[in-house]
Amino acid sequence: MLHKRLYQFLIVYLIGLSVLLGFKYGLSLSDYVIPGVPMIWKAAEGASGRYVADTLNTLGVAVVGHMISIFLATVVGILGRRRSWAGSMIRAAAYNIQAYPIVAVAPIIFILLGDGPVSRLLIAAMICYFPLLLSFMGIFSEPVKDIEHFFNATGRMNWRLQVKIRAFENMRKLTTVIVGSATMAMVGTIVAEFIAAANGIGYSIRIALYQSDLAKILVALFYIGIFTSLYLFCLEWAGFRIEKRFETPKEGRG
Amino acid sequence: MRIHCNHLTYRYPATSLYVFKDLDFNISEPGFHALFGPSGVGKTTLARLLAGKENDHSGALRTEAVSRILYSYNTERLPGWASVGMHLAGVTREGQKNRLEELETVFGLTEHLDSRFGQLSMGQQNRVNLARYLVQDFDLLIMDESLANVDEATREKIILCIKRIFPGKLFLYISHNVAEVARFCREILVLRGVRRSPQAISIHGQDQTSDDRSDAAELERTMLEIVHAS
Repeated sequence: MLHKRLYQFLIVYLIGLSVLLGFKYGLSLSDYVIPGVPMIWKAAEGASGRYVADTLNTLGVAVVGHMISIFLATVVGILGRRRSWAGSMIRAAAYNIQAYPIVAVAPIIFILLGDGPVSRLLIAAMICYFPLLLSFMGIFSEPVKDIEHFFNATGRMNWRLQVKIRAFENMRKLTTVIVGSATMAMVGTIVAEFIAAANGIGYSIRIALYQSDLAKILVALFYIGIFTSLYLFCLEWAGFRIEKRFETPKEGRG
Repeated sequence: MRIHCNHLTYRYPATSLYVFKDLDFNISEPGFHALFGPSGVGKTTLARLLAGKENDHSGALRTEAVSRILYSYNTERLPGWASVGMHLAGVTREGQKNRLEELETVFGLTEHLDSRFGQLSMGQQNRVNLARYLVQDFDLLIMDESLANVDEATREKIILCIKRIFPGKLFLYISHNVAEVARFCREILVLRGVRRSPQAISIHGQDQTSDDRSDAAELERTMLEIVHAS
């Protein structure tokens, strides 16, 4: 799984780089517009240490933000699964709020909370929270009738059992949604850093942008891709282990 | 113990399609009864109405001395996180452990208790599902094709076992097997469709309580009655 993730990223990265270099050499653009391979290599040698640290800093914030949003989406998804007016209200609110581009409120967060890690964390969590919430509410509010019928009929059903049944039956969907939202958490953190923060790889990209240093930006993108792939692999591996633990071997069916 | 249906009229929500129009029938004693009829005639709908899972009907559909109705059907599943044995033990009522063991033996489940539900064949899955209902508290158990995909010999053993253990309970067995319902059921309610009158005909079955097949002529007569009625 890990090597697949890394191969996928490296292929995309190298294609992107090749296109850029193709433009450079095809249109005879200067190193100032698009740097050549030696300049990129030099930038990598000079900035790698700092960029790795910055990317890890960003990843740390993204991971915590992602975990917070998973927790919140689970809690609100469980509350929103109910058919009561409260459940309906939570669902309607979630659907309406998620329609607004959350990143647009990032400046307000920076004004109110400053440019520290709390702002980055909040923005990362908000950006991946709503897609997670919608998926979780969809999963938790959809009855698994063929399993739940017995527990309902015999009066054994409670909210914990209901959530357990629905989560278990949709484990693959949940894993896919969580893995998908991890990229959004990383994007959210980088965007937050890019807008106003004074830390992380997004901040470093902003500085490189002000210096019009595309070589450094390409190096930063490389490390973002590598570490994001590693995080996605960890999530996929965890989901795979959970699925494997409860997987039903198909052999022996009569 | 009685099920009383008088002028029952029902159509599916938001459609003009009637399933029942002025349907009348009576089942007036406990025992192993059948609901029989061709596909689409409303057997499952009637079962769901009885179980309170469908409403908005007109006419009377009442039970007397039946306080707890359970409805089991053949596509039910058990959660996949535990073995069949653990699940059955977990849902068995206090004081029913011996009964569960007996059912596991008669139903041929003993060697599958460590398996997960998804590992079982469809016939085994249906047997497990039915067994867990039989260790619950009920007065009327509706078995909607609950023995589908189970071989004939095992089905026979299971039905006889149910009749022996639960003589005072009411069962409504939905099946497409004429010979089986004719032989083992006390009353066979044949549903005939909304366009025919009467919509339901009640036929006395052989209500056999052992695997004695001596009265073949009587059985044949009952089977013919059912086929003519349906």
